[in-house]
Amino acid sequence: MFKYMNPRRFYYAVGRKKFFEFILLAIFILFFYGPLMNMLLLAFSNKYEVPAVIAQEWGFKWWDYVFSQKSLVSSIVQSFIVAIATTFISMIFCIPAAYSIARFKYPGRKIFMLSFLLTNAFPKIGIYTSIAVLFYKYGLMGTYPGVIIIHMINSMMFMVWLPSSAFRAVHRQQEEAARDVGAGPIRTFFKVTMPMAMPGISVATLYTFLGSMEEAQGTMLVGMGKIQTMPVAMYGIVLDSSAVQIGAVFAIILIIPSAVLIFLMRRYIGPEAIAGGFKMK
Amino acid sequence: MSKEIKQKLVAYIMVIPAFLVVMLTVAYPIVSSVIKSFQDEDTGAFTLDNYAYFFTTPNQLKNILYTLFVVLVTVVLAIVIAYLLALYLRFTHSKIAKCIGTLYLLPRFVPAMCAVYAMITIIRDSGLINRIGLLFGQDWKLGLMYHASGMIVMNLWFNIPFATMMITAGLGAIPDSIVEGARDVGAGRLKVFRSMILPLSVKDVVIASTFVYMSNVGSFTTPYLMGGNAPKLLGIVLYDQFNKYLNYNRSAALSVIMFLLCAVSAGVYIYTNLKDNEWEAQ
Repeated sequence: MFKYMNPRRFYYAVGRKKFFEFILLAIFILFFYGPLMNMLLLAFSNKYEVPAVIAQEWGFKWWDYVFSQKSLVSSIVQSFIVAIATTFISMIFCIPAAYSIARFKYPGRKIFMLSFLLTNAFPKIGIYTSIAVLFYKYGLMGTYPGVIIIHMINSMMFMVWLPSSAFRAVHRQQEEAARDVGAGPIRTFFKVTMPMAMPGISVATLYTFLGSMEEAQGTMLVGMGKIQTMPVAMYGIVLDSSAVQIGAVFAIILIIPSAVLIFLMRRYIGPEAIAGGFKMK
Repeated sequence: MSKEIKQKLVAYIMVIPAFLVVMLTVAYPIVSSVIKSFQDEDTGAFTLDNYAYFFTTPNQLKNILYTLFVVLVTVVLAIVIAYLLALYLRFTHSKIAKCIGTLYLLPRFVPAMCAVYAMITIIRDSGLINRIGLLFGQDWKLGLMYHASGMIVMNLWFNIPFATMMITAGLGAIPDSIVEGARDVGAGRLKVFRSMILPLSVKDVVIASTFVYMSNVGSFTTPYLMGGNAPKLLGIVLYDQFNKYLNYNRSAALSVIMFLLCAVSAGVYIYTNLKDNEWEAQ
């Protein structure tokens, strides 16, 4: 094994092409996963003072600290309330729209489709401040509905475009076959179309849920401190944290839902499925 | 009622609620911002002062140029690197390529703030890189924090996987057979790339660039946690105008400026997509 530690020997052992591939892989992992790995280590470091590269003392000290803070625990609860509500409400609005755009031909279809691009074509922070002015007028600042509306804006494009391209991929003949043997339109949708379009719908739902879990700027602006989700709480922690580990612990807690959901839905996640959300077809 | 009309009615009933949500939550606020941006703060009379403030105050003008600089550097670097990576992923069939092909999808699902925080633990002045330097007796001060370069590094972390994914999806649609066919009749690698792969993937490159551009003009989390005090990125300037100075007319004007900066690329995006559809229709 040790002979591979010498770069020159390694180069000759695996050949030129493989050598550069390994270097590419190393750079890739260091850049994209190095920071996350470092943060993971930090979360379990009781003591981490300046010259030390890794923890001088390991343990769960900072986890105890984070969970003893009432405000942090309540922010976890609020995050889940907002994310679950956002996901359901945007499904109710967007899935029918996606189906309509995918399956029917009518004047104005392109315009409807394009209108959902609006949500992603402009800087979010600009949209949020514009909405906030209106929210003041209608008393929605600092309320759950206000925050949920903000989160919905984030997700509408994916929630329409992704399922829409998934619905289009379902062959019409299959729906017709179901209709021929006597299934009604609603039954056909739930028994035939929906299961076949599931990968697209799942990725969209996943995006909506995770997007809502991580949304910070809009929630901070509109929540006004009354609705404090995890990412908003984390802004505070990052900006005035006495110990770098507190932020690390919190960030790990914030990543857990993503990690679990991605693991559960791993077979649906691929470049084609995700890219579908960014293209009008 | 004929079947066709009934079907159209159903279609409209299904699409209109979502459409109304977008109109009420995005279009209406944007329009009201545009109106507000031309109004005087106190009297409500027509004025251009709100815009003049951002283009004539030297510091504010600097903020706008600074934002464009950061965004354009991000777009160019991210797209070039992503394109090379996508080519590698598409045309190399090794275990390593497969491995990278899975790993690059995940950063997309890491909450933005966690990623920024993780990067800070590495690049801050007492971060991991500095500590590794100390092991070898070097005191590296990277100076990435509170500086444009740090934000660009972070933007690359976010945007390279995304752009790679868009371009890979496009390259995946190029069948192996046509590449092999061209190679069989004697076309060199460069020729195949220039006359087949590049033209066939240019649309996805444009789409990826427009999205990278649009999502970075208003970026907030990265500059909020990593950016310096001056110059600032527009996302932060806007947040300050709104939340700190409570100047809603100026913040409306700045929103409109940012919308216009994005409208260009949104236009390019729509044009690219529509052109593609015309081609499909033939």
